Amino acid sequence: MNPAFQALLVIAVGVGGCVGYFYLSNLFLDKVLFPARGPQAGRNINRANAVRPWLFLFPALALLCLYLAYPVFATFWLSLHGKDGSFVGTGNYTAMFQEPKFGESLRNNMLWLVVVPAAATGFGLLAAQLTDRIKWGNIAKSLIFMPMAISFVGASVIFKLVYDSRDAAVAQIGLLNALWLKFEGGIWSVLFLRVLPAVLVGGLLLAVLWGGWLLLRPVLDARRQEKPLIKAARVLGGLVALVIAFELGVWLLGVFTNVLPYGRPQAWLQIPFWNSFFLMAVLIWIQTGFAMVILSAALRGVPEDTIEAAILDGANPFQIFFKVKVPQIMGTIVVVWTTITITVLKVFDIVLAMTNGQWETQVLANYMYDKLFRSLDWGMGSAAAMVIMALVTPILIWNVWNARKEMR
Amino acid sequence: MMTRLYVSAAVLALGAQGALAQDLKFPIGEGAFNWDSYKAFDEATNLEGQTLTIFGPWRGEDQVLVEVMLAYFTAASGVKVNYSSSENYEQQIVIDAQAGSPPDIAILPQPGLIADLVKRGFVTPLGEDTQKWLAENYAAGDSWVGLGSYAGPDGTKALYAFPYKIDVKSLVWYSPENFEDAGYEVPQTMEELKALTEQIVADGGTPWCIGLGSGGATGWPATDWVEDLMLRTQPADVYDRWTTNELAFNSPEVVGAIEDFGWFAKNDAFVAGGAAAVASTDFRDSPKGLFTSPPQCYLHHQASFIPSFFPEGTVVGQDADFFYFPAYAGKDLGKPVLGAGTLAFITKDTPASRAFIEWLKTPIAHEVWMAQKSFLTPLKTVNADLYGDPTMKKMGDILLNATTFRFDGSDLMPGSVGAGSFWTGMVDFVGGKSAQEVADAIQASWPK
Amino acid sequence: MDNIAGKKPALLWAVHISVVALVLLWVVPTFGLLVSSFRTGDQIVSSGWWQALTTQETQQAAVRIAGTEAEKDGAFVIEGNLFPAKGVEISHWGTSSREPEAFAPGETAPLNDGMTLTVQADGAFVLTSPVTTKDMRLPRVFSTASSPPEFTTRNYTNVISSPLAGQSIGQAFINTLTVSIPATIIPILVAAFAAYALAWMEFPGRALLVAFVVGLLVVPLQLALIPLLQFHNWIGIGKGYLGIWMAHTGFGLPLAIYLLRNYMVGLPRDIIENAKVDGATDFQIFVKIILPLSFPALASFAIFQFLWTWNDLLVALVFLGTGNDQQVLTGNLVNLMGSRGGDWEILSASAFVSIAVPLVVFFSMQRFLVRGLLAGSVK
Repeated sequence: MNPAFQALLVIAVGVGGCVGYFYLSNLFLDKVLFPARGPQAGRNINRANAVRPWLFLFPALALLCLYLAYPVFATFWLSLHGKDGSFVGTGNYTAMFQEPKFGESLRNNMLWLVVVPAAATGFGLLAAQLTDRIKWGNIAKSLIFMPMAISFVGASVIFKLVYDSRDAAVAQIGLLNALWLKFEGGIWSVLFLRVLPAVLVGGLLLAVLWGGWLLLRPVLDARRQEKPLIKAARVLGGLVALVIAFELGVWLLGVFTNVLPYGRPQAWLQIPFWNSFFLMAVLIWIQTGFAMVILSAALRGVPEDTIEAAILDGANPFQIFFKVKVPQIMGTIVVVWTTITITVLKVFDIVLAMTNGQWETQVLANYMYDKLFRSLDWGMGSAAAMVIMALVTPILIWNVWNARKEMR
Repeated sequence: MMTRLYVSAAVLALGAQGALAQDLKFPIGEGAFNWDSYKAFDEATNLEGQTLTIFGPWRGEDQVLVEVMLAYFTAASGVKVNYSSSENYEQQIVIDAQAGSPPDIAILPQPGLIADLVKRGFVTPLGEDTQKWLAENYAAGDSWVGLGSYAGPDGTKALYAFPYKIDVKSLVWYSPENFEDAGYEVPQTMEELKALTEQIVADGGTPWCIGLGSGGATGWPATDWVEDLMLRTQPADVYDRWTTNELAFNSPEVVGAIEDFGWFAKNDAFVAGGAAAVASTDFRDSPKGLFTSPPQCYLHHQASFIPSFFPEGTVVGQDADFFYFPAYAGKDLGKPVLGAGTLAFITKDTPASRAFIEWLKTPIAHEVWMAQKSFLTPLKTVNADLYGDPTMKKMGDILLNATTFRFDGSDLMPGSVGAGSFWTGMVDFVGGKSAQEVADAIQASWPK
Repeated sequence: MDNIAGKKPALLWAVHISVVALVLLWVVPTFGLLVSSFRTGDQIVSSGWWQALTTQETQQAAVRIAGTEAEKDGAFVIEGNLFPAKGVEISHWGTSSREPEAFAPGETAPLNDGMTLTVQADGAFVLTSPVTTKDMRLPRVFSTASSPPEFTTRNYTNVISSPLAGQSIGQAFINTLTVSIPATIIPILVAAFAAYALAWMEFPGRALLVAFVVGLLVVPLQLALIPLLQFHNWIGIGKGYLGIWMAHTGFGLPLAIYLLRNYMVGLPRDIIENAKVDGATDFQIFVKIILPLSFPALASFAIFQFLWTWNDLLVALVFLGTGNDQQVLTGNLVNLMGSRGGDWEILSASAFVSIAVPLVVFFSMQRFLVRGLLAGSVK
């Protein structure tokens, strides 16, 4: 038998089995177990309706429990055991928190968690909004989405070529270094490497300050009555914004004062701190397509009449976008943000393939992989996994809270 | 029902594959091969219809070479062999063993990892007979027995892994014509090598190409350097104590060897692209500098496998050649050789896997690979004339002239050091940290 | 929506320019690799891919003189061309690595043992020797030459028909399809039913279950590998296609349920309630109303799941094995990369072979996706 034919047959059986289950089980429920006729028709319908959700849910729940929930418990259990299988309690956790590599992973992960979802969602929203307005928008969308189709291995190869660095004496084959060597400190260098970053950082600084002000304003407003808890949260948020703003201010200063090594090719992936951003660029490049497709669907779902009303009120396109469209698709933005956040926590392929966590680029997922398969230390690896899960918990709680709010 | 269907599909697929079985490359009975050993094995073994799955490190070109050897095993024993490999073979063997679906035979180059698997009870001991056979038939047999012996789950030490195929690491590659053009001589001692390094700089050239880049494994080429220099600055027993951590990683002996490596790698004038390029250059790209014009470098320290990464059409022996990474004349430590090798072990005890270990004891199992390329063996009973190319014979000579042979230390260390902190430590070292700092960090990471 | 932009041409131009910039930023890295995959290995490392269309003057790799020897006037002569059929223009050449630019084209260089060598600008050479050059090592020629742009498909033929991979890429293609098609369809079916139940059916513990699903989104895959492979071995399916489908289904379900439920919750309530009033059962509502309305969400998830299973390496390695009838495309290509890892020409060509199918799927599915999106927005 031809292997292709076998494959088809196997596919048909697998998929057919699935369809068959749902169809036949519902048929069985309605016709045999609780038929909607005879003396107890009414009761039977109610009973059938009480059972049916579980019928719908059963395959999904069974698979989820087995393939994800069970490993979580197994992992938790493993994380309490040492390398030789003896019970060590929280020993793995304390050992891990003392490792400098772990602290580094945690710091980097925080950075990834802030930058990647924000940038990918931001670019995605921008791309979705802009491409919706032009004739060749669909082509543009396809091209921006394209990196989604590329495996992490492939993406790593692509960006290794971009970041490639060679001796200054020979021709550069990495695009980034070729561009970099064009700068010599002249007027264009100032424009691109001082003014442009300064404008970007400055803009970000103002945005953060504005966001902090928005948070704090109600607290200063004596007329508003709010629960102390919410007030405290606002103050905390405002302080965080201030800290970020301060950090950005330092950067802004740095943009003008630092001495740039013009004329020397840079090994981009070996510059501590900044190399993490070069790795993040790869994931942002991949994930933007995802954000764009989902957000573009949501944008098209925004009812026309709300937009028309805004136009009649004399709103400009920016106001329409930020005040009419964005609030209406907030739910979708949250979904996209969450999904990308989760991807960020799990991604290890990019780091593994490009730096393997060297030059201070380690992230938790790669740290865990290292412990699991290189050190064969299941206890430590599992403990690292539990930390990853703990990191996502706030997002989870927020999502669950949102879901419950919707249901009411 | 789906399971049954799948099984029958798999059986069909297997049948189809059998038709593709390779023809034997060297006709049986012809040439200077030890065909008697083949015939004896053929007569003694009849396992028609059995299958054997082997998981090994050889991919691409090497996979073609190993499959030639396996075809003879199939022809002689009747066992159908399923050889496979993958980029992540170490992790895969660990996962499969842990989950209870290991291959029948696994082949790994890291004794440290095998020791871990043995300790967890995933490997079957090979028995006293094999141990005796190795001691008798391999050159420096006892050291090979030592390499394949590990403490089992109950703590008793026994032979678990069979060394097959070795690589010599203590080699320096160069272009003979570039040497002629510049009037350089092949150095005989480490002092001469260091003088040559300075001479090349004085002549306006760059002596070394060093590249540590290897994706997730970045840093490993430097471990070979340090091990080689360790053997050249310290007696062999110090080296042995170092690999087991009896001698701390941050002791002065080790720090000295790391600093010696730094003499070569951390001097901007000595390495192509300057010291900053060492960590970022891919080890596979690095030797190409020998062949550019004008040459980016004159010397490259790497194991015997590296010609696979020379530019297309490079003829080893003509365009490129190698010499022994020399020892210090002033230190009277003999001629130590650093090597690596692969070890086969039984992860599922079946008659076929036992037969395979027996097969590895026949000279013919070594000769059919020797006669192709990139294969060195310590087996004394093979016909050395069969080496497929003269360079292999030359490497064999280096091996024979060795006063000390030591296995790649990073492969002997626990995975978290030998395939972890040692690598990253070396990257940090060439990146600017001091040898002491790096050694302290590696020592701290050694599993207690 | 066009009505807004249409009124202000300046703004429209700004939009066009921004989109062009964005698209360029996103396409250039891939395009660079694509161009590189059509260049020879020497070209890739000697000049940037953006210079592929220009004539390059570079130091060529040393070429060793080769050819058949002929006896002429008592001397032994070898004639030939250093760069046959390449259209190269040599500006300088030399025979020593120390002085690779010692001679101009047409000059004659004296060599050892009375040999002489002349090289012309087009690469033609004449080597004359007083004694036979048989069994002698012939000299190398270094040259600085400008070579016209050159493209080759050899990288692709090497990757596709590589005898080294130990297995045909065609078989790997079929294996990958066998993995990814069921692993795309099954989770969608299973998740659609579950998502509907979680979105529109009333039963106790619903909110808890939603939280449960969201919680599982974050479970790192790597952890599940060994417990699950153990489980597969225990129930007797071992490593094989059935196992990998179940694994992909399990790993893909949380996202599928999460996305689909979020979409289904947003569907208009009155349609469903009207149908219920008309006496339709949940099963009928699901099949006749929900499924067609959810088409965009289903289609987008299908694309994501397909891409994910197609590009997956880890799950396939663990649950499927690496035999010839099981090796998937990514595994095959990673092996190829591993054995020839430093070679950009192999890396780039194999990367493109692996992304060809996902791209085709995306571009062909996209029409459905867009149609679905438009249909979904009319509500």
